[in-house]
Amino acid sequence: MASGSEEAFWTEEDAQSLAETTDVELLKRAWRNEKAAPEILSFQANLVQRSREQIQLLEETVEELSGNASDDLIISLYQMDLDRALFLLRSYLRVRLQKIEKYMLHISKTQLWNRLSEQEQKFAEKCTDIMEKHLQQSVLARLPYGYQSILKQSISSEEDDMVPEPQLDTFVFCKSKGSVGAFQLDDTGDEIVDLVADDLYVLRYKSIKGLVEGGQIDLV
Amino acid sequence: MYGRRASQLVRELASSESGQLTAFNNDLFDQVIKECNEHQVQLQSLLRKIQDDGLDIQTTKNADHFGAVAHHLSLIRNKRCLMAYMHNRAEIIRSLRWKVGPVLPQEIQQKLSYSEEEYFKNHSTALESYMSELDLDLTVDMVPPKDPYIQVRVLDDIGDVLLGDQSASLMRNSVHSLKRTDAEQFISQGLMEEFLE
Repeated sequence: MASGSEEAFWTEEDAQSLAETTDVELLKRAWRNEKAAPEILSFQANLVQRSREQIQLLEETVEELSGNASDDLIISLYQMDLDRALFLLRSYLRVRLQKIEKYMLHISKTQLWNRLSEQEQKFAEKCTDIMEKHLQQSVLARLPYGYQSILKQSISSEEDDMVPEPQLDTFVFCKSKGSVGAFQLDDTGDEIVDLVADDLYVLRYKSIKGLVEGGQIDLV
Repeated sequence: MYGRRASQLVRELASSESGQLTAFNNDLFDQVIKECNEHQVQLQSLLRKIQDDGLDIQTTKNADHFGAVAHHLSLIRNKRCLMAYMHNRAEIIRSLRWKVGPVLPQEIQQKLSYSEEEYFKNHSTALESYMSELDLDLTVDMVPPKDPYIQVRVLDDIGDVLLGDQSASLMRNSVHSLKRTDAEQFISQGLMEEFLE
């Protein structure tokens, strides 16, 4: 009994560490992070590329199997796997697009711009043009001179004070994969949290931003 | 009171159900725009008065100066309200592209201003060109899949449709078991509903 459970434990561990590095699992992680983060994260170009290739492979497998009249159950299992992978991919891209739609002006004038894929940048450009035109003709062009900027409240504003920005100090749930150790939450060093592996934390996104970008911590 | 109409405009947004569009309030909108321009006229005449009195605009702190500031701030506030109104409506309009599809039903279209209708079309085109560049339709698969097949009931005579490699005759009230991805487009158009026993 004892040896049996030990053996099962090891294989489970092995399977788990193996499972954590598959592309589906990586995509799931990227998707979860993207969904939970208030701002847009870096586009996982290689991962998306690989996932699309695998999806295509799965599609071919399903086609082949249904062509030579294999077991329906097996086909539907493959199909389910395929559907799940497709959903993840679509949802990942969708969440990003929705963030771009929401914060297009903010993204296009900050460093965040480099986190977009080439296609996303094109989309964001178009989005911004369309939005500008829309606001221009319905509001801005009808306002007095000096108040017509889309970025500034009036000509006397020194910086762009009309651009919607994501709320970075919102709280997020996060889990650290490895032990990060004592981590400073604010600039003054008053708040220090000891991040232990696999423990769940609720922290301000702003303070753990770097860890999320570096892949040391996952949002859930 | 200055800025009252503009706040009404924003309140209209706040009180409507989230994700639901109310009819574009053209009258109120135009009134606020008009108010803005009146503020500007007042503001300019006050500024001129300060100059005519031979005072420096930057440093003078008399009644005229504070009058001008009040008009300036009211104008800015009105602008923010107008922009918030348009911006939030634009957000809902964009979400309609995901929920309803590229063509809006008549009853929703009536609620849009001319510029908003144009905005919807243009935005929809931008999204479509992104998806065609990717060669992936992102508007299907909106909910996590459970079973690859679902049972649907057809709500309208659709006729013979080619689904994958087989054709199905989708007559009104008939029940079919379809691939979820195939069925979703019909469901979002209101031609089918999920059939739950």
